[in-house]
Amino acid sequence: MGPRPADDAMSEPHRLRLVTSRDSATAAAVGDPSAAVARGALVEAARRGDVRAFAELVDTYYARCLRFALHMLSSRDDAEEAVQDTFVRVYRALPTYEERESFEPWLFRILANRCRSAGARARRHAELVEYGDVPERPVASGHDTAIAWREEIKLALAALPGDQREAFLMRHVEDLSYEDMSNATGAGVSALKMRVKRACDALRLRLAEVDRD
Amino acid sequence: MTDHLDDTLQRVVDALRPLPDVDDAAKARVLVAVAAERHRDREALPKRVTSSPRRWVVRAVGLAAAAVVAAVLLRAPSTSKEPTPDVAAASPSASAPNARLATADADKGIALQSVQLVLRAPAASQVRVVGDFNAWDGNRSSMSRDPESGLWTATLALRPGRHVYAFIVDDSIWMRDPRAPAAADADFGRPGSVLLVGRP
Repeated sequence: MGPRPADDAMSEPHRLRLVTSRDSATAAAVGDPSAAVARGALVEAARRGDVRAFAELVDTYYARCLRFALHMLSSRDDAEEAVQDTFVRVYRALPTYEERESFEPWLFRILANRCRSAGARARRHAELVEYGDVPERPVASGHDTAIAWREEIKLALAALPGDQREAFLMRHVEDLSYEDMSNATGAGVSALKMRVKRACDALRLRLAEVDRD
Repeated sequence: MTDHLDDTLQRVVDALRPLPDVDDAAKARVLVAVAAERHRDREALPKRVTSSPRRWVVRAVGLAAAAVVAAVLLRAPSTSKEPTPDVAAASPSASAPNARLATADADKGIALQSVQLVLRAPAASQVRVVGDFNAWDGNRSSMSRDPESGLWTATLALRPGRHVYAFIVDDSIWMRDPRAPAAADADFGRPGSVLLVGRP
Protein backbone atom coordinates (compact mmCIF):
# COMPACT_ATOMS: atom_id res chain seq x y z
CA MET A 1 0.00 0.00 0.00
CA GLY A 2 1.65 3.25 -1.09
CA PRO A 3 1.48 6.64 0.53
CA ARG A 4 -1.80 8.42 0.16
CA PRO A 5 -2.03 11.80 -1.46
CA ALA A 6 -2.95 14.64 0.86
CA ASP A 7 -6.18 15.38 -0.90
CA ASP A 8 -7.69 12.06 -1.75
CA ALA A 9 -10.47 12.36 -4.28
CA MET A 10 -12.98 10.22 -2.45
CA SER A 11 -16.66 10.17 -2.96
CA GLU A 12 -17.92 12.57 -0.33
CA PRO A 13 -15.20 12.08 2.24
CA HIS A 14 -15.33 14.17 5.38
CA ARG A 15 -12.03 14.74 7.05
CA LEU A 16 -12.27 14.84 10.79
CA ARG A 17 -9.55 17.44 10.98
CA LEU A 18 -11.25 20.77 11.39
CA VAL A 19 -8.77 22.74 13.43
CA THR A 20 -5.32 22.16 14.79
CA SER A 21 -2.80 24.19 16.67
CA ARG A 22 -1.57 25.37 13.32
CA ASP A 23 -4.91 26.98 12.60
CA SER A 24 -3.84 30.28 14.04
CA ALA A 25 -6.92 32.10 12.84
CA THR A 26 -9.19 29.98 14.97
CA ALA A 27 -6.78 30.01 17.87
CA ALA A 28 -6.63 33.77 17.70
CA ALA A 29 -10.37 34.01 17.50
CA VAL A 30 -10.64 32.27 20.84
CA GLY A 31 -8.77 35.07 22.49
CA ASP A 32 -10.39 37.81 20.45
CA PRO A 33 -13.06 39.72 22.39
CA SER A 34 -14.85 40.55 19.13
CA ALA A 35 -15.43 36.83 18.62
CA ALA A 36 -17.16 36.50 21.97
CA VAL A 37 -20.59 37.23 20.51
CA ALA A 38 -20.16 34.60 17.83
CA ARG A 39 -18.99 32.08 20.40
CA GLY A 40 -21.97 32.92 22.57
CA ALA A 41 -24.30 32.23 19.65
CA LEU A 42 -22.49 28.95 19.04
CA VAL A 43 -22.91 27.89 22.65
CA GLU A 44 -26.57 28.84 22.63
CA ALA A 45 -27.16 26.88 19.41
CA ALA A 46 -25.40 23.86 20.89
CA ARG A 47 -27.47 24.21 24.05
CA ARG A 48 -30.62 24.07 21.96
CA GLY A 49 -29.41 20.80 20.48
CA ASP A 50 -27.68 21.93 17.29
CA VAL A 51 -25.12 19.17 16.83
CA ARG A 52 -23.16 21.06 14.20
CA ALA A 53 -22.73 23.93 16.63
CA PHE A 54 -21.47 21.49 19.23
CA ALA A 55 -18.96 20.07 16.75
CA GLU A 56 -17.77 23.64 16.11
CA LEU A 57 -17.35 24.16 19.83
CA VAL A 58 -15.16 21.07 19.94
CA ASP A 59 -13.13 22.40 17.02
CA THR A 60 -12.77 25.79 18.64
CA TYR A 61 -11.74 24.68 22.10
CA TYR A 62 -10.07 21.31 21.59
CA ALA A 63 -6.50 22.61 21.23
CA ARG A 64 -6.80 24.93 24.23
CA CYS A 65 -8.26 22.20 26.37
CA LEU A 66 -5.52 19.83 25.29
CA ARG A 67 -2.85 22.42 26.10
CA PHE A 68 -4.21 22.82 29.62
CA ALA A 69 -4.56 19.07 30.13
CA LEU A 70 -1.04 18.42 28.84
CA HIS A 71 0.39 20.89 31.33
CA MET A 72 -1.68 19.42 34.15
CA LEU A 73 -0.97 15.79 33.31
CA SER A 74 2.32 14.35 32.23
CA SER A 75 0.91 11.84 29.77
CA ARG A 76 -0.53 12.76 26.40
CA ASP A 77 -2.86 9.77 26.50
CA ASP A 78 -4.20 10.91 29.86
CA ALA A 79 -4.57 14.45 28.57
CA GLU A 80 -6.49 13.39 25.46
CA GLU A 81 -8.72 11.17 27.56
CA ALA A 82 -9.41 14.01 29.97
CA VAL A 83 -10.32 16.31 27.10
CA GLN A 84 -12.59 13.71 25.55
CA ASP A 85 -14.26 13.13 28.89
CA THR A 86 -14.68 16.87 29.27
CA PHE A 87 -16.54 17.31 26.00
CA VAL A 88 -18.81 14.35 26.72
CA ARG A 89 -19.67 15.89 30.08
CA VAL A 90 -20.14 19.30 28.50
CA TYR A 91 -22.56 17.73 26.04
CA ARG A 92 -24.46 16.05 28.86
CA ALA A 93 -24.60 19.21 30.93
CA LEU A 94 -25.36 21.71 28.16
CA PRO A 95 -29.12 21.60 28.70
CA THR A 96 -28.55 22.87 32.24
CA TYR A 97 -26.01 25.47 31.21
CA GLU A 98 -27.28 28.99 31.81
CA GLU A 99 -26.36 31.90 29.60
CA ARG A 100 -25.55 34.19 32.48
CA GLU A 101 -22.57 31.98 33.18
CA SER A 102 -19.55 32.45 30.93
CA PHE A 103 -18.86 29.39 28.83
CA GLU A 104 -15.08 29.29 29.17
CA PRO A 105 -14.96 29.17 32.98
CA TRP A 106 -17.68 26.55 32.85
CA LEU A 107 -15.70 24.52 30.33
CA PHE A 108 -12.50 24.88 32.34
CA ARG A 109 -14.28 23.87 35.52
CA ILE A 110 -15.21 20.55 33.94
CA LEU A 111 -11.78 20.18 32.36
CA ALA A 112 -9.96 20.94 35.61
CA ASN A 113 -12.10 18.37 37.40
CA ARG A 114 -11.27 15.75 34.79
CA CYS A 115 -7.57 16.60 35.06
CA ARG A 116 -7.70 16.29 38.85
CA SER A 117 -9.32 12.87 38.56
CA ALA A 118 -6.83 11.74 35.93
CA GLY A 119 -3.96 13.13 38.00
CA ALA A 120 -5.11 11.17 41.03
CA ARG A 121 -5.24 8.00 38.95
CA ALA A 122 -1.76 8.68 37.58
CA ARG A 123 -0.37 9.24 41.08
CA ARG A 124 -1.80 5.93 42.26
CA HIS A 125 -0.19 4.27 39.27
CA ALA A 126 3.13 6.04 39.86
CA GLU A 127 3.28 4.55 43.34
CA LEU A 128 3.63 1.20 41.66
CA VAL A 129 6.59 2.22 39.52
CA GLU A 130 9.83 0.80 40.74
CA TYR A 131 12.76 3.09 41.34
CA GLY A 132 14.66 1.63 38.42
CA ASP A 133 11.89 2.72 36.06
CA VAL A 134 12.01 6.38 37.01
CA PRO A 135 13.43 8.38 34.10
CA GLU A 136 16.59 10.27 34.81
CA ARG A 137 16.59 14.03 34.83
CA PRO A 138 17.68 15.27 31.42
CA VAL A 139 21.07 16.92 31.20
CA ALA A 140 21.39 20.10 29.17
CA SER A 141 24.27 20.60 26.84
CA GLY A 142 25.23 22.88 23.99
CA HIS A 143 22.68 23.42 21.26
CA ASP A 144 19.79 21.69 23.02
CA THR A 145 19.51 24.41 25.64
CA ALA A 146 16.04 25.37 24.45
CA ILE A 147 14.83 21.79 24.75
CA ALA A 148 16.43 21.50 28.17
CA TRP A 149 14.71 24.74 29.21
CA ARG A 150 11.31 23.35 28.22
CA GLU A 151 12.10 20.18 30.13
CA GLU A 152 13.05 22.19 33.20
CA ILE A 153 9.80 24.13 32.96
CA LYS A 154 7.90 20.87 32.68
CA LEU A 155 9.61 19.49 35.76
CA ALA A 156 9.17 22.73 37.69
CA LEU A 157 5.49 22.83 36.78
CA ALA A 158 5.03 19.20 37.75
CA ALA A 159 6.65 19.89 41.11
CA LEU A 160 4.01 22.50 41.98
CA PRO A 161 1.03 21.48 44.10
CA GLY A 162 -1.91 20.76 41.83
CA ASP A 163 -3.98 23.76 42.90
CA GLN A 164 -1.07 26.15 42.30
CA ARG A 165 -0.28 24.64 38.92
CA GLU A 166 -3.92 24.88 37.92
CA ALA A 167 -4.20 28.51 39.05
CA PHE A 168 -0.96 29.53 37.32
CA LEU A 169 -2.01 27.93 34.04
CA MET A 170 -5.50 29.40 34.10
CA ARG A 171 -4.21 32.87 34.84
CA HIS A 172 -1.07 33.15 32.75
CA VAL A 173 -1.49 30.60 29.98
CA GLU A 174 -5.26 30.54 29.47
CA ASP A 175 -5.68 34.24 30.32
CA LEU A 176 -8.71 33.75 32.52
CA SER A 177 -9.61 36.59 34.85
CA TYR A 178 -9.58 35.90 38.57
CA GLU A 179 -13.38 36.11 38.57
CA ASP A 180 -13.56 33.48 35.84
CA MET A 181 -11.02 31.37 37.68
CA SER A 182 -13.17 31.62 40.77
CA ASN A 183 -16.15 30.37 38.77
CA ALA A 184 -14.06 27.58 37.32
CA THR A 185 -12.49 26.36 40.53
CA GLY A 186 -14.95 27.36 43.24
CA ALA A 187 -12.11 29.04 45.16
CA GLY A 188 -12.19 32.67 46.21
CA VAL A 189 -10.33 35.37 44.30
CA SER A 190 -7.93 36.05 47.20
CA ALA A 191 -7.07 32.37 47.53
CA LEU A 192 -6.47 32.15 43.80
CA LYS A 193 -4.18 35.17 43.80
CA MET A 194 -2.21 33.55 46.59
CA ARG A 195 -1.93 30.29 44.65
CA VAL A 196 -0.70 32.12 41.57
CA LYS A 197 1.82 34.09 43.62
CA ARG A 198 3.16 30.96 45.28
CA ALA A 199 3.38 29.20 41.94
CA CYS A 200 5.29 32.16 40.48
CA ASP A 201 7.66 32.24 43.44
CA ALA A 202 8.36 28.52 43.22
CA LEU A 203 8.89 28.60 39.46
CA ARG A 204 11.12 31.65 39.68
CA LEU A 205 13.24 30.07 42.40
CA ARG A 206 13.68 26.75 40.67
CA LEU A 207 14.28 28.13 37.20
CA ALA A 208 16.67 30.80 38.41
CA GLU A 209 18.85 27.96 39.67
CA VAL A 210 18.75 26.43 36.20
CA ASP A 211 19.80 29.74 34.68
CA ARG A 212 22.78 29.90 37.00
CA ASP A 213 23.92 26.35 36.14
CA MET B 1 0.35 40.81 45.04
CA THR B 2 0.74 41.56 41.36
CA ASP B 3 0.47 39.83 38.03
CA HIS B 4 3.68 41.38 36.78
CA LEU B 5 5.90 38.75 35.21
CA ASP B 6 9.64 39.14 35.36
CA ASP B 7 11.88 37.86 32.57
CA THR B 8 12.12 34.33 33.96
CA LEU B 9 8.37 33.91 34.34
CA GLN B 10 7.71 35.52 30.98
CA ARG B 11 9.99 32.91 29.42
CA VAL B 12 8.03 30.23 31.23
CA VAL B 13 4.73 31.56 29.93
CA ASP B 14 6.13 31.91 26.42
CA ALA B 15 7.19 28.27 26.51
CA LEU B 16 3.81 27.08 27.78
CA ARG B 17 1.52 29.08 25.51
CA PRO B 18 1.95 27.51 22.07
CA LEU B 19 -1.02 25.28 21.28
CA PRO B 20 -0.12 21.61 20.95
CA ASP B 21 -0.42 19.61 17.78
CA VAL B 22 -3.81 18.01 17.68
CA ASP B 23 -4.13 14.37 16.75
CA ASP B 24 -7.05 14.16 14.34
CA ALA B 25 -7.86 10.66 15.53
CA ALA B 26 -8.13 11.88 19.11
CA LYS B 27 -10.54 14.60 18.04
CA ALA B 28 -12.46 12.03 16.05
CA ARG B 29 -12.81 9.92 19.18
CA VAL B 30 -14.31 12.92 20.97
CA LEU B 31 -17.01 13.28 18.36
CA VAL B 32 -17.67 9.56 18.28
CA ALA B 33 -17.96 9.50 22.08
CA VAL B 34 -20.35 12.44 22.04
CA ALA B 35 -22.36 10.85 19.23
CA ALA B 36 -22.61 7.72 21.36
CA GLU B 37 -23.89 9.84 24.22
CA ARG B 38 -26.46 11.34 21.91
CA HIS B 39 -27.46 7.89 20.78
CA ARG B 40 -27.99 6.80 24.37
CA ASP B 41 -30.22 9.83 24.89
CA ARG B 42 -32.30 8.81 21.90
CA GLU B 43 -32.52 5.25 23.13
CA ALA B 44 -34.01 6.54 26.34
CA LEU B 45 -36.83 8.19 24.40
CA PRO B 46 -39.92 6.32 23.19
CA LYS B 47 -39.28 4.61 19.89
CA ARG B 48 -40.70 6.24 16.78
CA VAL B 49 -41.87 4.09 13.92
CA THR B 50 -40.22 5.00 10.65
CA SER B 51 -41.28 4.09 7.19
CA SER B 52 -38.92 2.35 4.84
CA PRO B 53 -38.64 3.10 1.14
CA ARG B 54 -39.18 -0.16 -0.56
CA ARG B 55 -36.12 -0.10 -2.74
CA TRP B 56 -33.89 -0.14 0.31
CA VAL B 57 -35.61 -3.02 1.96
CA VAL B 58 -34.38 -6.41 0.90
CA ARG B 59 -36.47 -9.21 2.23
CA ALA B 60 -34.76 -12.23 3.62
CA VAL B 61 -34.70 -15.20 1.35
CA GLY B 62 -32.73 -17.60 3.50
CA LEU B 63 -29.29 -17.74 4.94
CA ALA B 64 -27.86 -20.09 2.36
CA ALA B 65 -28.95 -18.03 -0.61
CA ALA B 66 -27.69 -14.85 1.01
CA ALA B 67 -24.33 -16.37 1.75
CA VAL B 68 -23.98 -17.08 -1.94
CA VAL B 69 -24.81 -13.46 -2.72
CA ALA B 70 -22.21 -12.28 -0.25
CA ALA B 71 -19.59 -14.56 -1.70
CA VAL B 72 -20.30 -13.24 -5.17
CA LEU B 73 -20.06 -9.66 -4.01
CA LEU B 74 -16.79 -10.21 -2.25
CA ARG B 75 -15.33 -11.66 -5.39
CA ALA B 76 -16.52 -8.86 -7.64
CA PRO B 77 -14.17 -5.95 -7.02
CA SER B 78 -14.90 -4.23 -10.30
CA THR B 79 -18.20 -3.03 -11.61
CA SER B 80 -19.01 -0.48 -14.27
CA LYS B 81 -19.88 2.05 -11.57
CA GLU B 82 -16.52 1.90 -9.88
CA PRO B 83 -13.88 4.57 -10.32
CA THR B 84 -10.89 4.14 -12.54
CA PRO B 85 -8.09 2.03 -11.11
CA ASP B 86 -5.89 5.09 -10.62
CA VAL B 87 -8.39 6.81 -8.42
CA ALA B 88 -9.35 3.66 -6.62
CA ALA B 89 -5.75 2.92 -5.78
CA ALA B 90 -5.41 6.19 -3.94
CA SER B 91 -8.70 6.58 -2.20
CA PRO B 92 -11.64 4.78 -0.67
CA SER B 93 -14.60 4.67 -2.99
CA ALA B 94 -17.90 3.06 -3.70
CA SER B 95 -17.98 -0.68 -3.89
CA ALA B 96 -20.50 -3.31 -4.70
CA PRO B 97 -23.93 -2.69 -3.19
CA ASN B 98 -24.28 -3.82 0.36
CA ALA B 99 -25.97 -7.13 0.69
CA ARG B 100 -28.46 -7.91 3.38
CA LEU B 101 -28.56 -11.43 4.61
CA ALA B 102 -31.28 -13.02 6.61
CA THR B 103 -30.92 -14.75 9.89
CA ALA B 104 -32.96 -15.25 12.99
CA ASP B 105 -32.02 -14.47 16.53
CA ALA B 106 -33.63 -15.52 19.72
CA ASP B 107 -32.57 -12.30 21.42
CA LYS B 108 -35.68 -10.96 23.07
CA GLY B 109 -37.78 -12.62 20.43
CA ILE B 110 -36.73 -10.12 17.77
CA ALA B 111 -35.64 -11.53 14.45
CA LEU B 112 -32.38 -9.88 13.49
CA GLN B 113 -31.25 -9.45 9.96
CA SER B 114 -27.69 -10.13 8.97
CA VAL B 115 -26.49 -7.12 7.02
CA GLN B 116 -23.23 -6.89 5.17
CA LEU B 117 -21.64 -3.50 4.70
CA VAL B 118 -19.01 -3.14 2.03
CA LEU B 119 -16.62 -0.30 1.25
CA ARG B 120 -14.00 -0.23 -1.45
CA ALA B 121 -10.91 1.38 0.05
CA PRO B 122 -7.80 -0.37 -1.26
CA ALA B 123 -5.40 2.25 0.12
CA ALA B 124 -6.82 2.21 3.63
CA SER B 125 -5.05 0.43 6.45
CA GLN B 126 -8.09 0.34 8.71
CA VAL B 127 -11.81 0.87 8.24
CA ARG B 128 -14.42 0.81 10.94
CA VAL B 129 -18.15 1.21 10.80
CA VAL B 130 -19.98 3.31 13.36
CA GLY B 131 -23.69 3.75 13.70
CA ASP B 132 -26.63 3.80 16.01
CA PHE B 133 -26.44 0.00 16.15
CA ASN B 134 -23.06 0.04 17.94
CA ALA B 135 -23.55 3.27 19.90
CA TRP B 136 -21.17 4.98 17.44
CA ASP B 137 -18.34 3.04 18.98
CA GLY B 138 -15.78 2.29 16.30
CA ASN B 139 -13.95 -0.17 18.51
CA ARG B 140 -16.86 -2.53 18.24
CA SER B 141 -17.01 -2.91 14.47
CA SER B 142 -13.74 -3.17 12.65
CA MET B 143 -14.09 -4.18 9.04
CA SER B 144 -12.15 -6.94 7.34
CA ARG B 145 -10.15 -6.33 4.21
CA ASP B 146 -9.99 -8.59 1.23
CA PRO B 147 -6.39 -8.06 0.03
CA GLU B 148 -7.14 -8.85 -3.59
CA SER B 149 -10.16 -6.66 -4.14
CA GLY B 150 -9.48 -3.91 -1.60
CA LEU B 151 -13.02 -4.38 -0.31
CA TRP B 152 -13.66 -3.90 3.37
CA THR B 153 -16.62 -5.77 4.78
CA ALA B 154 -18.46 -6.09 8.05
CA THR B 155 -21.40 -8.33 8.74
CA LEU B 156 -23.78 -7.05 11.38
CA ALA B 157 -26.90 -8.49 12.97
CA LEU B 158 -29.40 -5.64 13.02
CA ARG B 159 -32.93 -5.17 14.14
CA PRO B 160 -35.47 -4.32 11.49
CA GLY B 161 -35.93 -0.61 11.03
CA ARG B 162 -33.96 2.47 10.08
CA HIS B 163 -30.29 2.77 10.97
CA VAL B 164 -27.80 5.58 10.43
CA TYR B 165 -24.15 4.74 9.99
CA ALA B 166 -20.82 5.92 8.58
CA PHE B 167 -17.32 4.65 7.96
CA ILE B 168 -14.13 5.84 9.66
CA VAL B 169 -11.12 5.30 7.43
CA ASP B 170 -7.67 5.20 9.02
CA ASP B 171 -8.99 6.89 12.13
CA SER B 172 -9.04 10.20 10.35
CA ILE B 173 -11.61 10.22 7.57
CA TRP B 174 -15.29 10.08 8.30
CA MET B 175 -17.33 9.19 5.27
CA ARG B 176 -20.80 8.00 4.49
CA ASP B 177 -21.50 4.91 2.46
CA PRO B 178 -21.42 6.21 -1.11
CA ARG B 179 -23.89 3.53 -2.18
CA ALA B 180 -26.59 4.29 0.36
CA PRO B 181 -28.92 7.29 0.81
CA ALA B 182 -27.47 10.17 2.80
CA ALA B 183 -28.94 10.70 6.24
CA ALA B 184 -30.61 14.04 6.70
CA ASP B 185 -29.87 13.99 10.42
CA ALA B 186 -26.10 13.60 10.19
CA ASP B 187 -24.60 13.53 13.64
CA PHE B 188 -22.41 16.50 14.52
CA GLY B 189 -22.23 17.67 10.97
CA ARG B 190 -20.62 14.44 9.88
CA PRO B 191 -22.19 12.69 6.92
CA GLY B 192 -24.05 9.48 7.51
CA SER B 193 -25.98 6.99 5.46
CA VAL B 194 -29.34 5.41 5.99
CA LEU B 195 -29.84 1.68 6.08
CA LEU B 196 -33.34 0.27 6.16
CA VAL B 197 -33.60 -3.27 7.37
CA GLY B 198 -36.81 -5.09 6.60
CA ARG B 199 -38.49 -7.85 8.55
CA PRO B 200 -37.89 -11.38 7.34
